Amino acid sequence: MIKRIHLLFLIFLLLPAGILMAQGNKINFVEYDLPNGLHVILHQNSSVPVVAVTILYHVGSKNESSDRTGFAHFFEHLMFEGSDNIPRGEFDKYVQSAGGVNNANTTQDRTFYYELFPSNQLELGLWLESERLLHLRIDSTGVETQRKVVKEERSLRYDNQPYGSIIEETFKHAFKVHPYQWTPIGSAQYIDQAKLTEFMDFHAKFYVPDNATLSIAGDINISETKKLVEKYFAGIPKGKSKIQRPTIKEPAQTAEVRDIVLDNIQLPAVIQAYHMPANGTPDSYALQMLTTLLSNGESSRLIKSIVDQQQKALYVGSFPFALEDAGLFIVFGIANMGVTAEDLDKAIDTEIEKVKNELVSDHDLQKLKNQSESEFVSQNSTMAGIAENLSNYHVYFGDANLVNTEIDRYMKVTKEDIKRVAQQYLKKENRVVLYYLPKQEKTEGK
Amino acid sequence: MKKTLFVTILFIAGILNLSAQVDRTKSPKPAAAPKVVVGAYQMFELPNGLKVIVVENHRLPKVDYTMVYEYDPIVEGDNQGFVDLAGGLIGKGTATRTKDQINDEIDFIGASLNFGASGLSASCLKKNNEKLLEIMSDALINAVFNQTELDKLKKQSTSGLAASKKEPETISDRIARSLMFGKQHPYGGSITEKSIESVNLEMCKDFYKNYIRPNISYMAIVGDINFAEAKTLITKYFSDWQKSEIPKFNYPVPTIPSTTKVAFFDRPASVQSLVKICYPVSLKVGDADFIKAKVTNTILGGGTFRLFNNLREKHGYTYGSYSKLNPDRLIGSFMASAEVRNSATDSATHEILYEMKRMREEKVPADELTLVKNYAAGTFALSLENPQTVANFALNIERYKLPKDYYQNYMQQITAVTAEDVQEVAKKYILPENSYLVVVGKAADVAKPLARFSKANTVEYYDFDGNLFNPVKKQKPAPTGVTAASVIENYLNAIGGRKNLEKLADMTITMSTSMQGMNITIKQVQKAPNKMMIDIGSGGMSFSKQIFDGTKGAMVSQMGNQELKGKELEDMKYQAIMNIEQNYGKEGIKTELKGIEDLNGKEAYAIELTYPGGNIETEYYDVLSSLKVKKVTPDGQTDFMDYKEVNGFKYPYTIQQDMGGQAMKLTVESIEINTKVDDSLFKI
Repeated sequence: MIKRIHLLFLIFLLLPAGILMAQGNKINFVEYDLPNGLHVILHQNSSVPVVAVTILYHVGSKNESSDRTGFAHFFEHLMFEGSDNIPRGEFDKYVQSAGGVNNANTTQDRTFYYELFPSNQLELGLWLESERLLHLRIDSTGVETQRKVVKEERSLRYDNQPYGSIIEETFKHAFKVHPYQWTPIGSAQYIDQAKLTEFMDFHAKFYVPDNATLSIAGDINISETKKLVEKYFAGIPKGKSKIQRPTIKEPAQTAEVRDIVLDNIQLPAVIQAYHMPANGTPDSYALQMLTTLLSNGESSRLIKSIVDQQQKALYVGSFPFALEDAGLFIVFGIANMGVTAEDLDKAIDTEIEKVKNELVSDHDLQKLKNQSESEFVSQNSTMAGIAENLSNYHVYFGDANLVNTEIDRYMKVTKEDIKRVAQQYLKKENRVVLYYLPKQEKTEGK
Repeated sequence: MKKTLFVTILFIAGILNLSAQVDRTKSPKPAAAPKVVVGAYQMFELPNGLKVIVVENHRLPKVDYTMVYEYDPIVEGDNQGFVDLAGGLIGKGTATRTKDQINDEIDFIGASLNFGASGLSASCLKKNNEKLLEIMSDALINAVFNQTELDKLKKQSTSGLAASKKEPETISDRIARSLMFGKQHPYGGSITEKSIESVNLEMCKDFYKNYIRPNISYMAIVGDINFAEAKTLITKYFSDWQKSEIPKFNYPVPTIPSTTKVAFFDRPASVQSLVKICYPVSLKVGDADFIKAKVTNTILGGGTFRLFNNLREKHGYTYGSYSKLNPDRLIGSFMASAEVRNSATDSATHEILYEMKRMREEKVPADELTLVKNYAAGTFALSLENPQTVANFALNIERYKLPKDYYQNYMQQITAVTAEDVQEVAKKYILPENSYLVVVGKAADVAKPLARFSKANTVEYYDFDGNLFNPVKKQKPAPTGVTAASVIENYLNAIGGRKNLEKLADMTITMSTSMQGMNITIKQVQKAPNKMMIDIGSGGMSFSKQIFDGTKGAMVSQMGNQELKGKELEDMKYQAIMNIEQNYGKEGIKTELKGIEDLNGKEAYAIELTYPGGNIETEYYDVLSSLKVKKVTPDGQTDFMDYKEVNGFKYPYTIQQDMGGQAMKLTVESIEINTKVDDSLFKI
């Protein structure tokens, strides 16, 4: 296809971790708690000889203090440094040597680690994850190296990419008191300031069984797996103190916030971000359906009208970024050549006014339901995906079985709901509008 | 009581038992290895030649489609982009469906359907399968191309191009491809505003008519469908697709550079440099050493291995560094890359090249090889989780005529690779001395030290379109059709024409200048073909003379005669030739047009002269007047100004010389032509 901007990358940035929906054929699973509070979820599926071993820690950037932003993500890097029984640099080698792959990621709300192995390596995965939960070992060499690495990660993804700072800027403008005002990558200066003891304290506080969900999916024997989980995790002591989670509520926004960001870009971009309720609330499902109406597929409102008919945008899309405590409904567009940010902004407003003033047709509602169903079926195509979805549903909503039933919540959304949430949330005083404009600078290349 | 005791004993036993079981100091042993089965596929062919691969997988109630049109890649040249634009026009309307109808029908069933120039992809729930096929086949077979849609796509494409001008990866990719493959190769070209503008509807229609045909196409169907059902449906919906003769092309195989070259793109806003080392590689899927080459590249950087461990885990230069060895039916490529902070550009490049060299020079240690082979075999097994993998294997077997059991034996083949194999293929495919180092970054901070990585000790600058230019001289490419010879011929015409110049027998030029308050007179006498005398003096007194008699040269002064030797003699020899521009070729001086440069607001062609002795000079010829306006030698530079006509010839009346920071302005006082100068003047 014609090479456009790396929109996939942007979409990836915009997709919140918690929004992943699930399934078509029923996912069977068992779940239980160990006495130390570790929540265990097991899904058996013998269609392919692989196993995904995943562990979710309920800690993310919203648990950070404002003078240590980026800490949770930085800590995620340190979790690969080794343990009392795994020398520095060996963690990944154990995984590779077993023919597996592994990685981790951090959001505002949680940190997620996974290994995907041929199914005979299940026990190795449990050993590795239990080792770094039980006695992670971090030395100053590792910390210094990862400080540099994380700064390069920030440069690569945010500072050196056109439009790379949009999520950071949007949240900064939308949240004034809640820790969602910063994003998981945080600020480089605090990474330098953090001391070794702070890392150990962070581990002792958040990396405890009673703050973790171990979710395993694949070609496993449930009772054997239970024994192995017991073997490696039962002896790990629970946390010493109750985990404090942010209770602060972002006060309702009362006036539109507008700002301009100058970036190393060629085409202007517009971001409209409306405050929306947390993940899993009834209104968040209506807003999810609204986003499908606006930008899912070539016949969707924003794409058909603004990209195709009016030719005002190279790209436009909407994303309900629903997090655990609150969320933002984000509309993002990159203007076509010769189109100003104002023009694009107005064109988006016009489409949003329409959904506020007119009920969608029966045909459109059915289309939204069909699209949602199709997406839901596709969500559980991999073992790693199933394991992660089960964890998310358990941690955020206390009901892992939503992996099978969440679709009902979408199907319940009515035409009236869509119009109502549009009216209730997509209003000026509830939004931040950012214009990304090209920075003037020396010519490039020559 | 008894019961409690019993429970307590059990509990203690449990703890003892537990602690006895867990030996945390060693990694647990794996269970018996599972049998890895590469899923089967079935195939059929329609009478029109469409080959269809079916991979049944009933895990989810979904069906996925991919189609590949296997035509020889096309050189697009000035119309770069027309192939993609033509591909993009498919799906934008048929004889019976408008574009909006297609889009609405597809979205209504929650399906996806994407067309491109090289194939299509589509996906839907099982229950909507036939509806999807009905729309897909209509959109593909009965596509109607119209101008409005092309104009829209062109606008999108142009805007996309503008947006991508700031993306380091896009910039790097464009320059790397043009260097590796050349712009005359189908893989070397990149779109420009101009090339997109030049695309018209006829080209797109022709492409669709000539290349989108069933007899060169493969369709892969994966998912909740059985073979008989697939055959019935595809026969029903794709039999009307007409086959036809497909144009064929052959291309010269791009070659590796003879030495490593450094190509730089200046992106002043960069806080990281994108460093890429690349070159073309002849490697196809299924080649005898393909799997060995894959293992070799994995050791180097096909995962979190040597490059990653060195550049990230040891040095902290980058978030990640990897290498890729891409097989291709026409020409493949090797690429090793990293995005590193500005200050680490030089060191990171050094480390990548070091790791590349190490692959060739040292045998890989046994434990490292085992680890990588385990990883490669394991990830192969893991990839089978996605049923699309089986379809891709089937496509490879059919397209590249691989043995049917190629992928059944894949893991064994990996296991069989030895350290000797790795070193052998490393010597063949890992070429640190024959690569392009393409760097996108902030030139002011990082470019200079990179020169050491090139054999010529130079950093060459490229623009977004992959054209070489000189950032200091603000050079740009000359228009097509203009050559060094044509520039020189125009110059000769401008100063009098070859015929007149041939009639020049001798020429005496008197010039004056002032130096440290003293008036200096310079008299230069030339006699065809190659005698010369320059007399420098003041107030009628001669300070020194330089003489060339046709073979020997000398410096004559109050200190006596001194014969010229070496470089001085060499310089004099060429300087003595009357209007040498007529005879560059005959004298063995090579000329190369480097481009157009801006000289104080005026454009001039830059021509590089390479003398037989290896000396390099650059001459500049004004684009408008065709006159020679400047000459740059290793010693300094000379500007030629105020051309005036003398007896049908043109000559510069002001000559500004700048030698080693010493500026001197010569003013021509008189020029005499064909005065029958006596040979005795040149006697040494």
